[in-house]
Amino acid sequence: MKFILKLQDSVRHLFKEGAPFHHVEPIFDAADTFAFTPAEQTHRGAHVRDAIDIKRVMITVIYALMPCFLFGVWNAGYQYNMTHAVPDARLVDHMLRGLIIVLPIVFVSYAVGGFWEVLFSCVRKHPINEGLLVSGFLFPLILPPTIPLWQVAVGITFGIVIGKEIFGGTGMNVVNPALLSRAFIFFAYAKSMTGNVWIASKGDQVVDAVTGATPLGVLSAMPEGATAADAIASGQVSFMQAFLGVMPGSIGETSALACLIGAVMLLLAGIASWRIMLACVIGLLSTATLAHLFGSSPMSQIPPHYHLVMGGFAFGAVFMATDPVSAAATNAGKWIYGFLIGMLVIIVRVLNAGFPEGVMLSILFMNLMAPLIDSFVVDHHVRRRRKRG
Amino acid sequence: MEFKIKQGFDVGLAGRPDTSVVDLIPSETVAVYPLEFTGMKQRLLVAEGDIVKQGAVLMENKAHQAFKLRAPAGGVVSSITRGERRFVERIIIKVDVNAEAETFTRYEPEAVKGLDRQAIIDQLITTGYLSLIRQRPFSQMADPEAHPKSIFVNAMNTAPFQADAGVVAASDPLAFQAGLDLMTRLTDGEVHLCVGNNAGDTLKGAQRVSLHTFSGPHPSGNNSVHISRIDPMAPTDVVWTIKAVDVASIGRLFLDGTLPVSRVISLGGPSVKPEARSHYRIRAGGDLAALFDTSIEEGDVRIVGGDVLAGCEIPRESHLGFHQSSVTVIPATKERYFLGWTMPGLTKMSFSRLFASTWLPRKQDWNLGTSMHGEERALVLTGHYDKVMPLNIMVDYLIRAVLATDTDEAIALGILETDPEDFALCDVICPSKIEVQEIISRGLRMIEEEGI
Repeated sequence: MKFILKLQDSVRHLFKEGAPFHHVEPIFDAADTFAFTPAEQTHRGAHVRDAIDIKRVMITVIYALMPCFLFGVWNAGYQYNMTHAVPDARLVDHMLRGLIIVLPIVFVSYAVGGFWEVLFSCVRKHPINEGLLVSGFLFPLILPPTIPLWQVAVGITFGIVIGKEIFGGTGMNVVNPALLSRAFIFFAYAKSMTGNVWIASKGDQVVDAVTGATPLGVLSAMPEGATAADAIASGQVSFMQAFLGVMPGSIGETSALACLIGAVMLLLAGIASWRIMLACVIGLLSTATLAHLFGSSPMSQIPPHYHLVMGGFAFGAVFMATDPVSAAATNAGKWIYGFLIGMLVIIVRVLNAGFPEGVMLSILFMNLMAPLIDSFVVDHHVRRRRKRG
Repeated sequence: MEFKIKQGFDVGLAGRPDTSVVDLIPSETVAVYPLEFTGMKQRLLVAEGDIVKQGAVLMENKAHQAFKLRAPAGGVVSSITRGERRFVERIIIKVDVNAEAETFTRYEPEAVKGLDRQAIIDQLITTGYLSLIRQRPFSQMADPEAHPKSIFVNAMNTAPFQADAGVVAASDPLAFQAGLDLMTRLTDGEVHLCVGNNAGDTLKGAQRVSLHTFSGPHPSGNNSVHISRIDPMAPTDVVWTIKAVDVASIGRLFLDGTLPVSRVISLGGPSVKPEARSHYRIRAGGDLAALFDTSIEEGDVRIVGGDVLAGCEIPRESHLGFHQSSVTVIPATKERYFLGWTMPGLTKMSFSRLFASTWLPRKQDWNLGTSMHGEERALVLTGHYDKVMPLNIMVDYLIRAVLATDTDEAIALGILETDPEDFALCDVICPSKIEVQEIISRGLRMIEEEGI
């Protein structure tokens, strides 16, 4: 590997102050420190440092997303092959088909998002932030497989530029950039995010209305007289199916099982907050139980635990709500923030007839509230200190 | 009382100094570094070529004339180095072993117990030894006018590496107890002696002080932790702290009536030859270069005065500082590792659980070097610092308050109860490579300048 290092050192001077390529120095720095850990030495503060850095943290999140990604690829291919009744399709066929559907979306997300990140880094003269690795990967996973690529490009542009860079870049953003990107598409190009968009298909082929709907879609659009309980009893929607995720939906979020594996990885690594995840689940279950016991809307008949595995809740609670920059930062704040996300999800799902799903909006709303929650917690802390003194 | 500290982290640096004491290394020169005495307005009273007794006045404080810096050994003033704005940075004296010594009042061990507070303070000021006692808030030299509500004697060494207080006390138990007795005369409150749970008999048998045992990872040995657990400070309180090692020095000063000739320091770290990792009795202000020459491994190293968490880099050609009680040497590693962001990392020290090394039983300590292991990034993770912060401090918010130069908020969040060293582990474990100690010390300076 020494020759790579030598090669890097031999061109390093071209990027120094005053050298021809100085204005794109962040690109060189990114490549340089990608190949080998930075040469940086301690000179102030503690003389020895932990081996951890943000690159390692972000890559670990990517690894934790792999179960969702791989399952999403398979599922996209599987749903396609089932809809088109491809004969004798096996695992390999599903994966290949899935890659054909999903990879372009991931590629566009990374390419366009990367372009903005690099542009802002070069202009602002700071190193390229690794946060994009995660945002650019999260975004494709919460899109339907049928999303037009130009919308992916527009969405990630909005998320990165308006959601993050105008606030000062990574670490300064108020809301989760990937989620904001999705919200942008959701409202700007609503047609791409609603109806029968959840299964990739050839050209103008119409997907069967029932098979093309997500469980939440089925339940919220029950015909007059039928109830959610009937749908569940008749096996139209089953807990196991929703848990495993072999069904239409956004690429990465159909399988609660894959999200659970990701959650275990994140918690073992100690990166994501267990408080937020647990609080989301508690908030969701307790509100759903109340709704189930006392509610009168058709959606309130869904047994509470079904909410855990349906829609984007698992993915949102594990990967979106726990984004440390946009979440609450204090421990007490994390409990409140997570609990309210779970609660809002049920309020939107059960009480709001307009939207069958509310995870994205709940998290975005609580992103906005997080600083306020933290401010209460910090104030409380300060008051207690005063009392003691 | 016994206290168990949960939050914290022992970095596990290799090269812990042995508990034996290697005796006095003769030193041809001694030095005084006046800048160690922060806030001192210098008035130099000697010139190059002057012959001085041991204990002769080299410099006094223009702002407070009674406070003097004295020669740690007698001889000829051989060089005076000035730095920025003509401040005297270093005074070197060529030692004459037959030189006479300036004498101060000498007390019997029994007499020390009943000594008048003012008499003690006067002797500490005129010898400059008052500087060994630090005052909270701000960790500055104790103000002789202040009446501390209690005095904390720190006999712990959880940071890698500090001189083992037990070793120092055991090497001169009489002076150690005399020093403690003097401390009891300086406060109307209590003198708290804080020891580790493996402390030896000299420490545990100390008289006329309240003994507290602290266990748990670093920073369980830090003053702020002791203060917060035993006798928390209110905003208007003044507390004094002192290292047990220095208590013994002060005791010796009063028992002998002359400046102590020597001091025990520890030398450790991965770049110190295994057989040289030990405690040394060294001439006060003595030359360290000779010691370094024989005991430091070949190659590029960094020599740190103090421990590697909160100490300062010192040059190879240097003398023992007045406040210094340990030297730690680590390799100055410049090596870069291939694909560090994803390699399993069997040989990487980390507080996080992102490296294979964390999941395996650790067999030995780490040969940690000076690598940063990353570049500075925006503050991303939240609540990470809290895992190594046993004080009731919201570190994330304190950092933000200081960065926003909001001193009121920083005070409300408790910055005055802390010392930058309490945040050393935050420096270590931060994935964004934020210099937390530096930020906190900037905040403290800001408040000190503004006045509260």
